[in-house]
Amino acid sequence: MSDDGKFRILVVDDEASVLTTYRLILERQGYNVMACHTWREAMSAIEGQDFDAVLCDYSLEERHTGCEVIHAARKRDATLPAALITGYANKETADEAALYNIGMMFKPIEIEEFLDTTARMLRRNHELSQQTGQEDGAGPQSAVPGLSRTGRSDRRER
Amino acid sequence: MATAKMHFQADRDRRLGPPGRRGALRLLQAERSEEIFPLLLEEIVALGYPRASVLDVNFESGGVGPKAALNWPPQQLARFSTALWVAENPLIGILDAKRPAVLPRTIFYHRPLYLHPILFSHRNLCWEAGRPRTGSCLAVENFHRQKRLRREDQICPTCEMRAYAALVVVELPRHNVEASLARLGNLIKLANGCLSRLFKVEHYYNRMRDMEITIAQMGTVMQSMADPVILTDTEHRVIMQNKAAEHFFKVPDEMTEGLVRAVELNNLLFSAALSSMLSSGADGHRDLTLVDTVEGEEMLFEAVSAPTYGPDGAQIGTVTVMRDVTGLRRADQELHANYDKLREAEETVRQERDRLNLIVENVGDPIVVCDRESHMVLTDPLAQELFGGSLEAERNGAQARNQAQLAACIGAFGSSEAERETAPLWLYNPIVKLEIEYECRSGKIFDEHGHVAYTVSVLRDLSALRRVEQLKLERRMLEIEKFAATGRLAATIAHEVNNPMEAIKNAIYLLAGAIPESAMPVYSILKSETERVARVVRQMLGLYRNTEQVKPINVNTIVEDTLLLLNRQLQRASVRVHTDLRPLPDAVIAADQIRQVLSNLVINAKDAMPEGGKLWIRTRHIPRHRDLRGWVRILIADTGIGIEPEMLRAMFEPFVTNKGEKGTGLGLWIVKGIIENHAGKLAVRSRVGQGTVFRVDLPVAKP
Repeated sequence: MSDDGKFRILVVDDEASVLTTYRLILERQGYNVMACHTWREAMSAIEGQDFDAVLCDYSLEERHTGCEVIHAARKRDATLPAALITGYANKETADEAALYNIGMMFKPIEIEEFLDTTARMLRRNHELSQQTGQEDGAGPQSAVPGLSRTGRSDRRER
Repeated sequence: MATAKMHFQADRDRRLGPPGRRGALRLLQAERSEEIFPLLLEEIVALGYPRASVLDVNFESGGVGPKAALNWPPQQLARFSTALWVAENPLIGILDAKRPAVLPRTIFYHRPLYLHPILFSHRNLCWEAGRPRTGSCLAVENFHRQKRLRREDQICPTCEMRAYAALVVVELPRHNVEASLARLGNLIKLANGCLSRLFKVEHYYNRMRDMEITIAQMGTVMQSMADPVILTDTEHRVIMQNKAAEHFFKVPDEMTEGLVRAVELNNLLFSAALSSMLSSGADGHRDLTLVDTVEGEEMLFEAVSAPTYGPDGAQIGTVTVMRDVTGLRRADQELHANYDKLREAEETVRQERDRLNLIVENVGDPIVVCDRESHMVLTDPLAQELFGGSLEAERNGAQARNQAQLAACIGAFGSSEAERETAPLWLYNPIVKLEIEYECRSGKIFDEHGHVAYTVSVLRDLSALRRVEQLKLERRMLEIEKFAATGRLAATIAHEVNNPMEAIKNAIYLLAGAIPESAMPVYSILKSETERVARVVRQMLGLYRNTEQVKPINVNTIVEDTLLLLNRQLQRASVRVHTDLRPLPDAVIAADQIRQVLSNLVINAKDAMPEGGKLWIRTRHIPRHRDLRGWVRILIADTGIGIEPEMLRAMFEPFVTNKGEKGTGLGLWIVKGIIENHAGKLAVRSRVGQGTVFRVDLPVAKP
């Protein structure tokens, strides 16, 4: 969470116009948004700061993928909620995402769904971090498969 | 001139010594031949001769002995008895000479005797002998004394009448007078004339009586014949007919118009037949149909006619005998009919055999007939190429192996219960020089005990069929590939459109609060139409996946994957899912395309249940099609609002939707395209207000 109490969200998309609109929509919801245009920018952003959530386009420049960004971010915070935003929905991607507890959203995204998912991701992680060390089973309302089994550590305690 | 001389002689004889008027009259009054000899003897004695006798010749025994006598003691007469063959006897000599003679005292008798032979004789031919102009008459011959008296000659060749001969013996008084002897001779001649006439009359009388008997007998014979016999004159008038003939030709006592007509008709027919018979030849015969006047039935007769001739050789009429051949003819017709039937049956059998041979020759597949020991007994030329001849020496190694294969197959079939069987058989084909697959279709022929006598097997070369199957599979994969390529193109375009559209959509959202009231309608259009483009793009993106590949896969896993992906959506829509997935063979399909089919159908089902409901998904293996190993069936059923009948017809067309703004109209069109590319079948049943069932059948092809 940023200093002003807002959740910090990293958004990565190689399409500048799309990236801008995502940033504006999320900022209008009151999030603190870090928008990165490339994999390289995203990696350096991750090195510099912590985020509460990562929303990342799957295919990035030079055959880099959103998964790499998410893995890099989770090296700092293993329970970091993350979702891929992609135009394709192939099974391998879906399998990979499921394996690493990464949520998936498909373009074109219903904006309400986009915001709901983001909010749930953050709220869930936030609630879990309040109940430190408690194991939580897969709840019926778990919106993102990957987030139902979050890790115990809460980065804000660090 | 002999005749005139004879007449003259006769007149002179009469003049010379006519007998006394009284004696002649008495002789003429005699009515029977037996009366003549006694009368004659009396008249001889009346002429003044002491005693007289008649010696009669018995032609049967040849004996000559006294027949009648007057004033002559029998013991004296006995010495005159003799026989015709005793030629030295003077009596026989006189008989043979046929002339009267005076015999002086001899050892026979102590006084001279006048001996006068008499013999059956006439001056003129009798009626019978005179009728045929060449006839000869014994009496006339005797009259002319042409022959010696021999007993075998004394039977008339014409009338079979047996002549009589006798010797009148008169004892001469002491003083014989020549003139007196002449009178005696004339008397005896007169008596002989009377006797000859009476004899003839009596002969005719006897003959007439015999003939009457014969006629009566013949009449009985004729009447008792069961066949009609008719005697007609030359004018075809009926002279005589027997009872059997009267049945047809005589008007009966009880006259009815029908009967009279039947008789008239019969007579007419008979008359016509007779005419035609007589004109055609001497002993013609004709078939003649007559009406039985009692039974009214038609009867068939065979009429045989023979002419009858009078004594002068002229035809006097016709005898017709008719034989009832109705039964015979019927039997004959039946025989002919049976013969014809037999020939027809033979012909049918022959045709059947020829046809069968033709079929066997033209089947184009090898045919083998084996006995119960699985030995080949009959093969067509194609089978001979595969198996060689039935003798071991007539086959090569490959043929022997083929035959062993066949024998194993036939042996297994022969001991099975089945009456027919189809089994695969791999045989070496000498033409393509390869082992190829045959389909061996066999049937059994049973003997009268119900045991297998023969098996007939027809082998079908399946290599062509297999090639076609392979081609079909390849073409189908090509179709799938083509569809995938189309999908790739669509997806590529969609992907390119996707990001700009995402930006537009987001931008529209961001502008939401900044639009003046007057521009709101335009803003709404912008928003809704952009959302529509977004849905189309989303659908088109689904057409393409990176891992597009056609391979054998279990459809159940695709169903499970799809449900896993859609689980959250379904839960949110309060749809309860029931799955019933049975074991399935792998189907050769493009998994992602089928996943999209399932996904589209499940989402459709979900959308049809806005208030929630139940969704059933069942999979089954339908082992139906022989060559393709059956089908995999997927059933997707919902308890939704159902589909209107008009919609059912149109919903597989592109851009047809009943979801209004939310639908693209592409989902079912894509489903249909994918199923068709997989050579599958798609069916739907729906009832408004109750629900909808989609049925997807995918062929299980050989890998």
